[in-house]
Amino acid sequence: MNYSTLVLGIIFIPVIGAFCLPWVAKFSGRLRNILSFVFILSSFILSLKLIPFVLSGKTILIQQPFALGLNFTLLADNLAVFMACISSLISAVIVLYSFSYVSHYENQNEYYCMVTLFLGSMMGLVFSANLILMYIFWEITAITSWRLIGFFRDKPYVLKADKAFLVTVFGSLIMLIGFISIYQQTGSFDLPVIKEVLKTQGNISNLVVALILVGILSKSATLPFHTWLPDAGVAPSPVTALLHAAVLVKIGVYVYARIFIVNITPDVLWHTLLPLIAGLSAIVSAGAALIETDLKRIIAYSTISQIGFIFFGLAIGNEIAVLGALLFILMHGLAKAGLFLCAGIVEQNTKTKDITKLGGLISTMPFTAIAFLACAFSVMGIPPFGGFFSKYLVFSGALASGRLWVVLIFLIGAFLTIIYLFRVFNMVFLGKVNVAGKEASPVMVASVVSLALLSLAAGFLIYYPYKFAQGAVGQMLGVIK
Amino acid sequence: MSALLILVPFFSVLILNLPLKGIRKLAFGGAICLSLLQMAAVFIPDAAFWKINPHAFGSIFSFELSADSLSKVILFCIGLVSFSALFATRQTLKDSAGRFNFINIILIAVAGMNGVALAQDIFSLYIYLEITAISSFILIAFNRDILGLEGAFKYILLSGVATVLMLAGIALFMLIAGSTSFAVIHAVLLNHNKDFLISLGIGLFIVALFIKSGLMPFHGWLPDAYTAAPAAASVLLAGVVTKIAGVYVLIRILVSVISFSPAIKSILLLVGALSAILAAIAALTQSDFKRMLSYSSISQVGYIILGVGSGSVLGIAGAALHIFNHAAFKSLLFLNSAAVECQLGSRDIEEMGGLAKQMPVTSLTSIIGSLSCAGIPPLAGFWSKLVIVIALWMAGFRAYAVIAVLGSILTLTYFLILQRKVFFGKPNAEFKDIKEAGFSLTFPALILAALIIGAGIFTPFILNRFILSFNSIFGG
Repeated sequence: MNYSTLVLGIIFIPVIGAFCLPWVAKFSGRLRNILSFVFILSSFILSLKLIPFVLSGKTILIQQPFALGLNFTLLADNLAVFMACISSLISAVIVLYSFSYVSHYENQNEYYCMVTLFLGSMMGLVFSANLILMYIFWEITAITSWRLIGFFRDKPYVLKADKAFLVTVFGSLIMLIGFISIYQQTGSFDLPVIKEVLKTQGNISNLVVALILVGILSKSATLPFHTWLPDAGVAPSPVTALLHAAVLVKIGVYVYARIFIVNITPDVLWHTLLPLIAGLSAIVSAGAALIETDLKRIIAYSTISQIGFIFFGLAIGNEIAVLGALLFILMHGLAKAGLFLCAGIVEQNTKTKDITKLGGLISTMPFTAIAFLACAFSVMGIPPFGGFFSKYLVFSGALASGRLWVVLIFLIGAFLTIIYLFRVFNMVFLGKVNVAGKEASPVMVASVVSLALLSLAAGFLIYYPYKFAQGAVGQMLGVIK
Repeated sequence: MSALLILVPFFSVLILNLPLKGIRKLAFGGAICLSLLQMAAVFIPDAAFWKINPHAFGSIFSFELSADSLSKVILFCIGLVSFSALFATRQTLKDSAGRFNFINIILIAVAGMNGVALAQDIFSLYIYLEITAISSFILIAFNRDILGLEGAFKYILLSGVATVLMLAGIALFMLIAGSTSFAVIHAVLLNHNKDFLISLGIGLFIVALFIKSGLMPFHGWLPDAYTAAPAAASVLLAGVVTKIAGVYVLIRILVSVISFSPAIKSILLLVGALSAILAAIAALTQSDFKRMLSYSSISQVGYIILGVGSGSVLGIAGAALHIFNHAAFKSLLFLNSAAVECQLGSRDIEEMGGLAKQMPVTSLTSIIGSLSCAGIPPLAGFWSKLVIVIALWMAGFRAYAVIAVLGSILTLTYFLILQRKVFFGKPNAEFKDIKEAGFSLTFPALILAALIIGAGIFTPFILNRFILSFNSIFGG
């Protein structure tokens, strides 16, 4: 098959498929669920098929020019395929888990339609090399996340869904202003063109970088735009796992890498300022995670904190740090999705999210408890779990660049991570049994266990993702290997 | 030949009122056919169709018609919105004799609006404007309830003021140019740049058009008129009447007669930005479904005026695109409000909640309309707003571009409030027995929603040709 067709298939199979799901449901709800899974899985498989091609250093460029530079430009390089593989893999596991989780709620049609559409537009965003095209997919993910957070329809939940929508749209509108000003300077929205023009024309102003960063930080829920993420925890657990831990919040990080590492070099100032913002974000949210008592809010704060690490790695910008940040996206996605899904099992079977009321669940839910612990180990960065390698690389990259004081901030952040995750595990799974619960359905348990195993495998088999990410970094920074 | 667009609706009204048995039953079908034909006619590429002989009525009052892309966009919108409004009459007006009269008045309004879109001289433009205005007064007061009469009365008063100003402006133009034809006045104005009388005439005309468009300092009549009008009349008024009577004429006069000057641009930008932002803030606090939509209308007209105020071809093209998009999404939203009002008997959004389950079509289409209005991609409204913003930015009005972009967040906010209070929530036990509105309200809503999505996806494909076609307008 032609590689361009593959890229289009990765994006449009789920996007178009999503709108068929409500019609399919008229015949059979089961078929709809399976189709949704198949669409997402096909994105994953097609992304896998691209790996050998892009690893050989080639890229795929699809271009369809339109007026005003609003071109339809897709670019598949190492970075894009890396991101596509991670997102679609995690999404597939999460949809599998949803089969059982949402089976007894209303609005399932909307649920599957939105989840599939979300993944499709995520794929679109990953491959788009035109700023406006990127913006379009960016906003579609915002729409889907709005509907999904409001899934349960209670008034406070809908309010929080609106909040998430408004905060992220506010950010993206600010970012749009930045895009337009780049357009005025370079005459194009196409990233490859912008890169060429800026080579000869000097750099973009700091104001523009700041404008775009507002969008990126609000989407990735980084201080000071982070408040929507813990609130979004009212969504069904697979949604929180999908949107707010594994995939959606990585959009901001990815776009940062795509714009500011691959194509535009921001001013040196940002190499100092951004790690500081990220460091603050990591510490403050880790502190919040320490005192929260709502299980999902704790994990959400933990997400904010870990995203700080990824930004840190990317902002440092040297080869090792960026490599670490990319691996961090993978490891954190796997492990955090696992944590959220475990939280979903706990929540659904004990009817509470308050960790002070829980306890001793390891005796009734052994698999969930062990999966939770494994994922927590990965997030903490304990070897041999995958999370260790990514955290290690980020730190060693930062040390190599000589920013000791920021490293110190993040070391505190990493230490806090260990404390709050142990605290959660202790209060939920160990100790006296307060609320009785039973193990969830086999599909759900299988999903969380497989995520835990993947986290472990990513550590043991670190060679493969490492090689892949290394190729991506080489391409991003223009280092020829 | 384009005169047919004016003559056919007029003569249909005459024929429908002939004392023939059974002819009244044809009114609805006939009017729908006319609206469809009008939409189709826009795509006639033949240049000869769009020209008619000038100077048919002597030398002073030349009677010219012609159409460029701007007129064609407007003609298409007229067809589209009258199609939706006609469908809306079927469920909202129960009395068949009343409905017949209503359809007749819609046809007269359509004829008037087509005239406005085609006129090439300032006096016939004025006459067609009055035809449109008077038929809308009647439509607003159609139910003869106290609110309707009040709304219509306010509209008459302010419209009367606008008329006087406009006539005075026309008189001044005639005094100086000796003709009412756009081309002649334009040529004369180019040579008399700093003349006081000319500035006065331009000023009077522009203020009159601000009133007619319901822009922010002059908007007092608009929310009352839109809210009090029968549902079908609101669709027509918000979707297309005020856009034509105010905005279109403003663009036409600016590009064909008086041309842009820095002062005019800055006035337009200021008024546009004020309307876009203040009306959106006002919409945040409304609890009446239609009133919220009315303020939203003012705010969107503000966007259109911002596009015009950039003074560039790109800006005008963006404004025209937004007029079309606004016609689609605002008619759709007013249809949704009609559906909710019909089924619940109330417009107070505080009393509603969780209607998505009972009214799935209305709920889904309203989401599409709202998001398009807020300029969220991939829906149609995104493209027109983007073109307007790019036009403003490129013309150097960066502050206004930023205002236009950030205004979208206000738009999104009030629509999210609307969604939350009406549709998106727990199903309410009180509304257990509420059903989806009838076919005649859901069918046009679905068509419009499909159009919004379709336009959202396909706008990039036509955008280049669309913008290029506007270059010729600036020729004079």
